[in-house]
Amino acid sequence: MDDKWGMLESTNEDREKIWKKNRTFAGDVWFRFRHKPTAIAGLILILVLLVFAFAGPLFTHYSYSDQNLDVVNIPPVMRVYEAPDGQACFYVTQALKVLRVNNDGTLDTQLSKLREDYTAGVAIFDYDGTEVGLSYFVTPYEMVDPETMEAYPARTVLNRSYLFGTDSLGRDILTRLMYGTRVSLMVAFIAVIVNMVIGILFGGISGYAGGMVDTVMMRIVDIISTIPLTLYVILIMVIMGSGLQSIIVALGTTYWVGMARVVRGQVLSLKNQEFVMAAKTIGSSTKTILLQHLVPNSMGSILVTVTMLIPSAIFMEAFLGYLGIGLQPPLASLGTMCNDATANLRTCPYQLFIPAIVICLIMFGFNFIGDGLRDALDPKLKK
Amino acid sequence: MKDQPILEVTGLTKHFKIGRKQTVHAVDGVSFTLKRGKTLGLVGESGCGKSTCARTVIRMYDVTAGKVVLDGTDITDMDQKQLKPLRRKMQMIFQDPYASLNARMTVRDIIAEPLLAHGIVRTKTQANDLVYPMLEQVGLTKEHANRYAHEFSGGQRQRVGIARALVLQPELIICDEPISALDVSIQAQVINLLKDFQEEQGVSYLFIAHDLSMVRYVSDDVGVMYLGQLVEVCEADEIYRHPLHPYTKGLLGSIPIANPRLARQKVKSSMEGDIPSPINPPSGCRFHTRCPYATDRCAQETPVLKDAGGGHFVACHQV
Repeated sequence: MDDKWGMLESTNEDREKIWKKNRTFAGDVWFRFRHKPTAIAGLILILVLLVFAFAGPLFTHYSYSDQNLDVVNIPPVMRVYEAPDGQACFYVTQALKVLRVNNDGTLDTQLSKLREDYTAGVAIFDYDGTEVGLSYFVTPYEMVDPETMEAYPARTVLNRSYLFGTDSLGRDILTRLMYGTRVSLMVAFIAVIVNMVIGILFGGISGYAGGMVDTVMMRIVDIISTIPLTLYVILIMVIMGSGLQSIIVALGTTYWVGMARVVRGQVLSLKNQEFVMAAKTIGSSTKTILLQHLVPNSMGSILVTVTMLIPSAIFMEAFLGYLGIGLQPPLASLGTMCNDATANLRTCPYQLFIPAIVICLIMFGFNFIGDGLRDALDPKLKK
Repeated sequence: MKDQPILEVTGLTKHFKIGRKQTVHAVDGVSFTLKRGKTLGLVGESGCGKSTCARTVIRMYDVTAGKVVLDGTDITDMDQKQLKPLRRKMQMIFQDPYASLNARMTVRDIIAEPLLAHGIVRTKTQANDLVYPMLEQVGLTKEHANRYAHEFSGGQRQRVGIARALVLQPELIICDEPISALDVSIQAQVINLLKDFQEEQGVSYLFIAHDLSMVRYVSDDVGVMYLGQLVEVCEADEIYRHPLHPYTKGLLGSIPIANPRLARQKVKSSMEGDIPSPINPPSGCRFHTRCPYATDRCAQETPVLKDAGGGHFVACHQV
């Protein structure tokens, strides 16, 4: 180009062209979602938990209700004593029984007790013909050579039979965790469905109709929200019996009130905007106005509310389980697992911490996803 | 049929209730007729009831009193269901191109919405056959169809709004300040587009604006509103050459003049003060509180719109 200052040709088409790349709505949402690290972290976390909850039980040898009273309260990390021949280890249970632990960390049979020396405070057990002693006069209890009373060398090994240990009835915590996570995710799913369908429609209709309809509908919401959910669950359990179905019915009938209020507020502020007026002058039906104009435009706050409600629904289920009015034994939920664990919190804190950590992880995951979705669904933030 | 006016408004009144006792007299007894294929401009200060008038005519609001006749059909007391088929005849272009387009919809969906609402097409793919030519008519291309409204400039957005109004091929379009939110250079583009459509399809416009020079350019007739009432109606050039109502004179006097020499010669606008509250409008002639020629009679007697000769209607005791 010799003449750098000359005018360039420009057609009308060039003038109106938008130079940004064109993407479909779904592609656009995904693009913005995956550029947010926390959102992706949340998504991966929830996916992992989903696989864990639904595919996990296929890979364990235990069921959530199998009890084995030989292996009660075994922690995930065990302090073991080496056997004299070095072929195995011993683990002393809280009930002062001795478990043979193979060198790879799997649990084997219980040793049989031969006799007990009360004066020395030593119980003698039979280990493949060799006598080994358990000294129980001083804590920590130690495995000792009955002749010399010298302790066998101790070390810690990971529990390979029960990765997360066992609970007070000898049930595998990992397996119960899978079923508990499954219940929590199901509750989350139901909370989403209920909020998205009943909450949005109820709030949307109430806000859009206004006047007397609005007053009546909102008073219904007020009445529902004044009844505490715990009381409500108990009342439903009287009729339906305790279990997951009562919790689902309770959540389904009452859990949408918060969402209804949020959507109503949004609709009230949006319905006087010009684009809604435009839809009215076009002659669009109320259904179109509500579902294509008002609800999509309040999606931001709807998602914020949902992401706050999902963890609270999960927490509510766990809380009911903890109180003992949720799932009934032997069914596992994270809340009932926490409840079972409180009895021996001092000796086996892992029984409480593991389900509690899973509750935290689920909540983190949903919060992060919701946060990411809210930004991703807002086309005004398009990059 | 050809001579029948597309829109006849008689004594249109719209009051809004605030609380229990107070009433906003937004529009009070406005009457005008709009002939087929013509443009009626409505001008006035902010808050004088122009937009309310437009929205009542299109029945976004219920009519308090008076009559609206669209193409020979009285639509004053129709409910929204009865109105729906008539909506095809009358569409609206809004003031704010940013607020009047749904941010969550693509341009294709926005323009297809009226087609789907009136059952002209069944599916969105069918709608494309009508949407694409419409986009081209307003100077946009097929490629714009999948874009969201926020990706467009103000002028482009307003053209999308126009396309949405025109796609039903209405006979009357109510333009509620369609250019006041736009850049000056874009204003002409949009106005010319509207004029082209009028020439091609013979649509009628009720054009609301506060830019007097633009109104002169587009309108055949001009109505001047003050505090909910029409104070002067006549042919566009006539009103600019011989304004009769003192308020119209004041309005025209407020147009800035580019040439400083001429500007110095100009008589300073004689209008003072602000527009009174429409909650308690002044008695008699509503303009008497600001009118330099007001007499006792003006404060007591409400002037009626009367012919001052040659189809020039004015509501003033002094004329």
